[in-house]
Amino acid sequence: MNVELTGLTRKFGRTQAVAGVTLEAGPGVFGLLGPNGAGKTSLLRMMATVLPPTSGTLRLLGRDPGGYGPRREIRRRLGYLPQTLGYYPGFTVYDFVEYFALLKDMPPGQVPRAVATAIEQVGLGDKARVKLRTLSGGMLRRAGIAQAIVNRPELLLLDEPTAGLDPEQRVAFRALLREFGQRATVVVSTHLVEDVAAACSEVSLMDSGRLVFHGTPGELIARGEGHGVGDAPLERGYSAVLAAARS
Amino acid sequence: MTGGDDLTGGYRGAGPVPGDVDLDRVWLGVAAQVWRRQPGPAERAATRLLRSPGLARALVTTPSLLLGWVIATVVILLTGVGVTLGTGTPWVALLAPGVAAAGIAYAYGPGIDPAWELSQSMAVSDRMVLLVRALAVFGLNAALGLAASAASGAAAAVTFGWLVPMTAVCALALAAATVTRSPNVGVAAGSAGWVIAILAGQAAEGRFTAAITDSLFVLPYLAFAAGCAAVVLFATRIPRGTP
Repeated sequence: MNVELTGLTRKFGRTQAVAGVTLEAGPGVFGLLGPNGAGKTSLLRMMATVLPPTSGTLRLLGRDPGGYGPRREIRRRLGYLPQTLGYYPGFTVYDFVEYFALLKDMPPGQVPRAVATAIEQVGLGDKARVKLRTLSGGMLRRAGIAQAIVNRPELLLLDEPTAGLDPEQRVAFRALLREFGQRATVVVSTHLVEDVAAACSEVSLMDSGRLVFHGTPGELIARGEGHGVGDAPLERGYSAVLAAARS
Repeated sequence: MTGGDDLTGGYRGAGPVPGDVDLDRVWLGVAAQVWRRQPGPAERAATRLLRSPGLARALVTTPSLLLGWVIATVVILLTGVGVTLGTGTPWVALLAPGVAAAGIAYAYGPGIDPAWELSQSMAVSDRMVLLVRALAVFGLNAALGLAASAASGAAAAVTFGWLVPMTAVCALALAAATVTRSPNVGVAAGSAGWVIAILAGQAAEGRFTAAITDSLFVLPYLAFAAGCAAVVLFATRIPRGTP
């Protein structure tokens, strides 16, 4: 298993953002659904080794990120797209992706081709020498995805990756996700159920810091049968599970 | 976006090509060379010195730190001159290594560095980047100070009482961090080293300020910084055959 979480919690003062999440994930595309404030981003940040858990155990790629050596090894094999992508406006797309490839400790000889590949995969080849400050929101998101995949990660964590992408780009992005999911664990946090339906082999639903559903998209759809809220079958399943969890 | 199967888009249809040529691969090789910005002399030198292209790039880029560093330097210099002239005791100089390190540390975090969240998830530790930046800044300042001291005696006090000790403290921190592979150990070692230096001055001279005012400390500081640089070079060397 690439991701093993046991009783993972995270508190911010008195607020419990993540409340005892236990989860295992192997290769595949894994959707993390939930309303705003459900704890998806906090959970993803812990998996990205950015945020230490308050309690519980976390093992990533077979290692405990608590130690400096294992954490460094995990980070070499990790790709992370934060919800809010910070960037240096004066960097070009190529400089941006290359900067983070170098900080990921990639072998220097492999960096130029890996950066070019990642930029082409997100469809920004014609913008490679353009400064980030001139890009649209969707293009910036794609530059962020490029830095996340540049090291061909074994664990890819994406927080709202399709925000700002147009429909055509979202379709292409889902194909990219499925390709990565064949050999890596891809965790996608989103509130867009159509992304989950199109790309994910497993889905978890969070509410108030807790995991209230885990299964396949088909199983989530089945939960929604006979439930009136929602336009699409997956949306009805989503609403039904949330309603049951809150009742 | 592409799924990685056809990266060249319409390029394939541009003309006849031999069947065994992988155009995607060729294009990526060309694109990598065309798009790439060649590192400048400073970055190449830093890469050779640090044996880490990631650290070298972070060191020469410092996108978010330049303004903060300039402001902090000016503020500390002015405060130092003011307090020293007013009280006769160089308190700011005495505390400067810690103050400067804290200033740099606080200039590197959420809200200041736009890519802080991403940097936190990188294999090259953000604290290691911080230590290297601090050492580079103080090392450069110390070199300039030594040059100025040679030309004018007026700069000697600031150089030997402030810049050289700060360089030594940062060098100790970086050496400890490199050897132990733990930036936290490095920061603790640097802080402890500076406290020991002050206490040693107190024990030998009967005054705390000896650590920054006694010229006898200058050569040990410089030798120590050079020794730490050697440790860093040894600990970060790349074994032969590493790609």
